[in-house]
Amino acid sequence: MVVLMRAFTLVCLTAVVVAGVSAGGRFRAQSAARETTVIDVVAERFSFTPSEIRTTVGTTLEIRLESDDTAHGFHIVGTDVNVELPKRSRGTVTVTFTPEEAGRYTFECSKMCGAGHSFMRGVIVVDEPPVEGR
Amino acid sequence: MNQKIHFHLSHCARATVLAAALAFVPVVASAQETAPAPPAPSESPTGLSGYMDFHYNKPEFEDGRLDFHRFVLIVTHRFSDRLRFVSELELEHAFVEGLEEAGELELEQAYLDFLLTRGFNVRAGMLLMPVGIVNERHEPPVFYGVERPFVDTVIIPTTWFEVGAGVHGEIGRGWRYRLYVTSPLDAARFSAEEGLRDGRQKGSETNIGRAAATGRVEYVGLRGLTAGASFWTGSSGFEFRPRFDVPVRLFEADVRYSRDRLELRGQLADVGISNAGDLNDAVARATGVSPNIARTMRGSYVEAGYRIVSGRSYGDIGAFVRYENFDTQFRMPDGFVPLEEFDREAWVLGATYWPEPDVAIKVDYVIQRNRSAVVDAPNSFNAGLGWWF
Repeated sequence: MVVLMRAFTLVCLTAVVVAGVSAGGRFRAQSAARETTVIDVVAERFSFTPSEIRTTVGTTLEIRLESDDTAHGFHIVGTDVNVELPKRSRGTVTVTFTPEEAGRYTFECSKMCGAGHSFMRGVIVVDEPPVEGR
Repeated sequence: MNQKIHFHLSHCARATVLAAALAFVPVVASAQETAPAPPAPSESPTGLSGYMDFHYNKPEFEDGRLDFHRFVLIVTHRFSDRLRFVSELELEHAFVEGLEEAGELELEQAYLDFLLTRGFNVRAGMLLMPVGIVNERHEPPVFYGVERPFVDTVIIPTTWFEVGAGVHGEIGRGWRYRLYVTSPLDAARFSAEEGLRDGRQKGSETNIGRAAATGRVEYVGLRGLTAGASFWTGSSGFEFRPRFDVPVRLFEADVRYSRDRLELRGQLADVGISNAGDLNDAVARATGVSPNIARTMRGSYVEAGYRIVSGRSYGDIGAFVRYENFDTQFRMPDGFVPLEEFDREAWVLGATYWPEPDVAIKVDYVIQRNRSAVVDAPNSFNAGLGWWF
């Protein structure tokens, strides 16, 4: 029983430490970011609007997704961002994405939505942040 | 790629919260205030979806007909992020027997998409022609009316699909293009009543002696707005001996705007057939009857729809009105007289009830007129049930 209590205490302490490290990690990520940009993206057969999003390295994008018709998916290729959007009038989903490298990140509908499904693609263009003091 | 991605509640945080919950620490409170991560679509590389269309049609002075018009299965496969397969297999009118007397089994799409960049991708296989509003966007819940617009039936022969290959992409904020080379239409099968419709080769051992070209440019950069223009051009006289050209060209422009409860649509399509007189003579020599093909066909429509009820737990209800003018005898070749029953116009009034966004219950009434003093254009009542899954 004593061993069990010690193990439980150890789990609790580990959890607290992990929670602190995780929270600290998240805090660092957010504080390192210059800003958070909120983007509203609307999906409908067969487009995302806007289909091109521009941001800078380190800026956190808070992408609020809404569908005007059926259920769509939102997948940023090469990442594990992949969510399903609820159908029309059933709310939004929000994903956050903080690119740490400049480049072009393609996003696409990841849930089959009709004959033109393959056209539902867009891009997040990530530039280096402007040099301060200029 | 070094990056951080967070949902409202990241995987790491979820594990932490779970552990903390076991430890009865105050973190539990903040976890409960945080929304759960949204669901992810299926991770399977192969997908199955489809749509169905079940109709009741009652033309004036005729008995009503029940028809399971379309049963469509869509099978997709993702080989990789850059290589996809999409297919659409359609059973029309529920039953197929010899010579397509009762129905049709059609492979409407079956292509490989090589996704290279956002601006340039390659597609090959059985392709939908990128012409008009309906041909590439025809799932039953997305359009008002039980049947597709007349213009999208007798001027633009939807569902229009052919074998071929081409490129597509999107540039900037919402400028898209598609450009395909495909098999041409068969002019020997054109008709005065339905225009190009029976000339589709449908990818079945098609003649590709002279390939056709088709393309579309569209703008989708503003929420709810799609504005596009399309063309199709090809030489379609390959069946005649001695051989002669029947160049066919189609131009089309369309706009669709949908915001909140309102939806507006407009479309204009114009078909030009060169050597239509020679075409009529050649078919008359072969069959004994002149098909009376026009050298120009033209059609247009405008439509307004409004969701009277929207966002309720029991669904949405919308009403619409559409005016169409479509003439498959618009301009005739020298020596031929137009058949005035094919200079038509229609008012379509109706309503749609969506108990949920992917299911549509439709009714409409079609008031149809033509220029003929002899042949009537019957009105009709239609009801339909369509769904997407």
